[in-house]
Amino acid sequence: MQPDLERELIRKCKAGDARFYEPLVRAYEPSGLRLATGMLGNLDDARDALQDTFVKAYEALHRFDLRRPFGPWFFQILRNHCRDLLRSRQARFKVETLDEGIEMHPADVEKGPERTRQRSAARDLLWRALERVGDEHREILVLKELQGFRYNEIAVILDIPEGTVASRLFHARRALRAALEEMGFRFAEVEASA
Amino acid sequence: MPERITHDDLMRFLDGELPPEEHARVQEAVAASTELGRELAIFRSMKSGFHDLSFHPGTYHRSVWDQVNEQLTRPIGWLLVVVGTVVWAAYGAYVFVTSPAELWEKLAAGAIAIGMLVLLASVMWERYREWLTDPYRDIQR
Repeated sequence: MQPDLERELIRKCKAGDARFYEPLVRAYEPSGLRLATGMLGNLDDARDALQDTFVKAYEALHRFDLRRPFGPWFFQILRNHCRDLLRSRQARFKVETLDEGIEMHPADVEKGPERTRQRSAARDLLWRALERVGDEHREILVLKELQGFRYNEIAVILDIPEGTVASRLFHARRALRAALEEMGFRFAEVEASA
Repeated sequence: MPERITHDDLMRFLDGELPPEEHARVQEAVAASTELGRELAIFRSMKSGFHDLSFHPGTYHRSVWDQVNEQLTRPIGWLLVVVGTVVWAAYGAYVFVTSPAELWEKLAAGAIAIGMLVLLASVMWERYREWLTDPYRDIQR
């Protein structure tokens, strides 16, 4: 969404007209759902968290600084909400019903059922490993790998100095690697090809 | 790992966050060190694994906008209905009490009004209790 248009919509929402919130919800919904699913592990909890966060964000719009972009601010609220849910144990990270939400790559179908099964097993393994690494490591991995945010954006969302992002990513990736190895995944082929 | 390449450098290199001259420096170090190359290959392989987890939420999900809009606008609607009802009920009660009607007429009318309110409240309470235990309440129709 164009920054000018976004600012104008937020200005109208701040004036109390909720109709202008709809384009913002629709624009940030796909990436918000991806972030919440990555943090909570299942689509139902993610959807509920996303819905609550949009309401919270609307109610907090009077505090929003119009000179800043809406996205990082919104994702910060969403991330905090997901963390609160995980802390309160209302929604523990649980890998459930994820398959229905994961895109089927056209290439999978072309390469046949065996390839599809392999990819599905790999996805499952990765989700299970994410389940093991803990909330703190998982959130930064989701922001970087699923959302594709730059370091400066991650720093804003996590409210940490930009210089800390690389270090936290390193520890998160190392934890993920350890989790995968504990689950029986071997990086031998990767190492051989390096 | 060579001293001049830190873990942070490696992460920035992997994620394309280094300026060109720094990028070239790390690339050179990676090419010269088997250990660094191995570590980078492992991180790259995990990174590519995440590409298989990509979503297309729009293709299989209804937007949450309807629910968000309900939550944003309904409280205002309810507030107006409740305030209006309270004002009218108070005015009605005042007119009723100060009217020149006989006492028995007031008592009978009051009994009917209170009886209807009690019935309405009990039905609402019953519905609420059923809703609390309804296993299908979250199903979208």
